[in-house]
Amino acid sequence: MAKLKLALYWAASCGGCDVAVLDINEKILDVAALADIVLWPIALDFKYHHVEALPDGAIDVTLFNGAVRNSEQKELALLLRRKSKVMVAFGSCAYTGGIPSLANFHNEQEIFQRVYLETPSTDNPQKIFPQIKTKVAEGELELPSFYDTVFTLDQVVPVEYFVPGCPPTVDIILKVVNALATNSLPPVGAVIASDKPLCDECERKKENKKITKIYRTHEITPDTERCLLEQGLLCMGPATRGGCGTLCVKVNMPCRGCFGPPPGVTDQGAKMLSALASIYDAQEEEGVARLLKEVVDPAGTFYRFGMAKSVLRRKRTAPVEVGAR
Amino acid sequence: MAGDFEPRIVGFLCEWCAYTGADLAGTSRLKYPTNVDIIRVMCSGRVDPTFVLKAFELGADGVLICGCHPGDCHYSEGNYKAARRIPLLKMMLETFGVEPQRLRMEWVSASEGEKFASIVREMTMQIKELGPFRSENNVEALWKENPKDSKVTATSK
Amino acid sequence: MKKVTIDPITRLEGHGKIEIFLNDDGDVANTYLQIPELRGFEKFCEGRPVEEMPRIVPRICGV
Repeated sequence: MAKLKLALYWAASCGGCDVAVLDINEKILDVAALADIVLWPIALDFKYHHVEALPDGAIDVTLFNGAVRNSEQKELALLLRRKSKVMVAFGSCAYTGGIPSLANFHNEQEIFQRVYLETPSTDNPQKIFPQIKTKVAEGELELPSFYDTVFTLDQVVPVEYFVPGCPPTVDIILKVVNALATNSLPPVGAVIASDKPLCDECERKKENKKITKIYRTHEITPDTERCLLEQGLLCMGPATRGGCGTLCVKVNMPCRGCFGPPPGVTDQGAKMLSALASIYDAQEEEGVARLLKEVVDPAGTFYRFGMAKSVLRRKRTAPVEVGAR
Repeated sequence: MAGDFEPRIVGFLCEWCAYTGADLAGTSRLKYPTNVDIIRVMCSGRVDPTFVLKAFELGADGVLICGCHPGDCHYSEGNYKAARRIPLLKMMLETFGVEPQRLRMEWVSASEGEKFASIVREMTMQIKELGPFRSENNVEALWKENPKDSKVTATSK
Repeated sequence: MKKVTIDPITRLEGHGKIEIFLNDDGDVANTYLQIPELRGFEKFCEGRPVEEMPRIVPRICGV
């Protein structure tokens, strides 16, 4: 079988997904035997013009991690889509927006203000902000346009497969490599993880889902055998796709939902909110008030990795005329 | 706001009490605004927060949920679930920029036609003042295609 | 002025591009490093519970 052409790219990303691929250790040699990598900025020196020079569809698979939040990332998504037969949204950011999509509670103006002016360690007395075009003595420099909103990969280009996780686990990555090697990819549109919610693979004892108080993670030391949600910790397990091996729960930390929603769930945050309200034991107004006080950051917790995929997508900023931006 | 803005409010009314109450408002010939599009559900506890989000996404300016009074739920506990779910959702939605008046939950018994009419009158008026919700998740609206200078400028070196 | 562009810079974490301007003698007149990325952790961490910071800020750099 001819070697596959493989590309790995990062948009609004931390590099963790690229490192995760390297975490397969010696199995990276299997990948090298299977594929010629034509773009992988963390590890190889190919430039964008090398990709532009390829014929359309020449790349067999692109593993695209990171969310899209500026025009360069959008252009790379479009470029790689043109040059690739298969696009994979790799990792939470590309799949559901990830941590960077928490920026959807803000807009460009608020972010630039904080980053370039207000942060304590910033010294910018001339109040200089990045510009799209900057004239210098020798010519002109260009930077991408920063969007108000963070997008997932499939909100920008059609995507064939989704690999969840922050980052995807070694097991899941090997599943993907194996599928490529044996030409046995699942039907288009598949999310390559478990088809069950996290609770299904969690080994903790589940008894009675009725909680009387919600604790912040530093407020208690949970029992290692019992379900964390039952102990009052906000565990996203019921509204999160499984397949990670319950890594966080195994170290006594509640799940934060990085694998995205389980199959059939449109809005992960809404589902978790609903589940939590179902199992919280309170029938009178005073109990409801307690619930509201105990959930300290509902939006940031229920949508920790999935703001860009939520139904509302972002915080509604000051009303603007559509198209005026 | 333009005087001709007519809010579109989606109302989830439970089969047993609230919907019957709304029906009574009708048979009693009470006059009240037509801005609420009623969706009958079996129980207020059936209202998934996703329905509320979808309503706003698809153009609703407000969402009203009516169920049986505490203790009267046909399914015993459904309205208690709603009583926890909807305030929590409302609190979360404020961080999304959804004003609290846009999501409202009320208990309406089968005999409270006038109460239903009065809720609709009040909510319609409040949302008229707030203006349209205008969800911002329309993809085309979210792109800033044209290169432009950052809004927050200052000098460029 | 002739310009040589290196885009992207590679084998490190992060995004960058380098513009090298050459004068008529072919010597480097000036070079600019630009960082075409920003995610805004400084802003969106505001309002999050402090005990969640160890689960959020490692996503600044996964390397």
